[in-house]
Amino acid sequence: MQIRSRQNVAAALAGIAMVGTLAGCSGAGSASTAPQESPSGSDGNAAEQPSTGTEYQDGEYTAVGSYISPGGPESVTVTLTLQDNTVTALEVTGSGGTPNAKKFQGEFIDGIDEVVVGRNIDELNVSKVSGSSLTSGGFNEGLDQIRDDAS
Amino acid sequence: MPAEVAATPLVFEAIGTRWQIDSTDPIGASLARAILDRISGFDRTWSRFRSDSVVADIAREAGSQDLGVDSPPLFALYARLADATDGAVSPFVGNALNHLGYDASYSMRERDEPRAGAPDWESTARLEGTVLHTTAPVTIDIGAAGKGYLVDLVAGLLTEAGHTGFTVDASGDIAHRGAPIRVALEHPYDPTRAIGVVTLTGGALCASATNRRAWGDGLHHVIDGRTGSPIEDIVATWALAADTATADGVATALFFSPSADLAVSFAAEGVRVFSDGRIERSPGFGGELFR
Repeated sequence: MQIRSRQNVAAALAGIAMVGTLAGCSGAGSASTAPQESPSGSDGNAAEQPSTGTEYQDGEYTAVGSYISPGGPESVTVTLTLQDNTVTALEVTGSGGTPNAKKFQGEFIDGIDEVVVGRNIDELNVSKVSGSSLTSGGFNEGLDQIRDDAS
Repeated sequence: MPAEVAATPLVFEAIGTRWQIDSTDPIGASLARAILDRISGFDRTWSRFRSDSVVADIAREAGSQDLGVDSPPLFALYARLADATDGAVSPFVGNALNHLGYDASYSMRERDEPRAGAPDWESTARLEGTVLHTTAPVTIDIGAAGKGYLVDLVAGLLTEAGHTGFTVDASGDIAHRGAPIRVALEHPYDPTRAIGVVTLTGGALCASATNRRAWGDGLHHVIDGRTGSPIEDIVATWALAADTATADGVATALFFSPSADLAVSFAAEGVRVFSDGRIERSPGFGGELFR
């Protein structure tokens, strides 16, 4: 069940990006939400997102991600500080309601800021970006079809 | 493409993704045509998304089919990748991907039957020269290393034509010659950010991640050939190697095996990102990672 928990933390991390987006739109210095949705990149639309131009207001942002563990509901609170469109600090607190959750959340929290303090690609002076392959028209149409069917 | 056009960058769509070729010299029309023809020929043999490919024939019925000059090096690389991952990387995962909905009609729906791993290599298929003998219908999918291999072929055409400074970028799989370039490693959860930067001085850099070729709850294109299920605990990998086929294959193998082990087996450096945010890198990985 550890893998299931990891996935939910992944969703919580993706929620950081969502909170940033929400706050950027509203101009609020603080926002709170429960990011239950999948990462924005996982729906195949990542390539269509604008890569420049969005300015986020400096400040501290907080998001709460909740999940159901085998031992019951748990949550992870993520607080990050944004300065000049860059994450400068990150704090993750687990609710740790059960001994297992404490252990798992400890594992997540230890490693998280090793990756999530990413930098804006715009500011990196690079000539290429290496990531997953952009998808084809056929693939994207397939995704549109299942979205239509689901709505 | 009009016959008289000489262009760089050369940008086009092929094998289901976007390509961009930059060179310090103009790419003439005849070279551009040779590149597109080589890619088209490769696709006609190996694509499981078209009904007229050799791979489609092999999927329909058992027998013997000539897979052409690219099959010995490709199957040799896959044999090494399978060894290094205890069978997780396989060229026969096509049926398992179809089952999950990543099929020729992009149905994007998992079928009702239970998932199954790739068929056993030894008992199902044997390559003799360039001819594959199969004992049952089997769907080949060379997604783990085929694109990198094709990038090497394109780089070879550029070199033969006298180009010495160029970048072949097949959307994440990059072959490079000439003056160093800086390449950002795209954040798997946010395409506007990077988790690091690599300086590429010749050779190849390949990426694999589960964020784009994904179509449902836990459904994406990196699957374990032993089980037929998508990988859950790794979300992105990068590999650096002398050639793009090796880098591409190792980028896939990193979903299953530690970077330090693969570095030894393949003379390739790697980095991988776990779903919980941790990074693991091989001891010789020279890139800068932000943390």
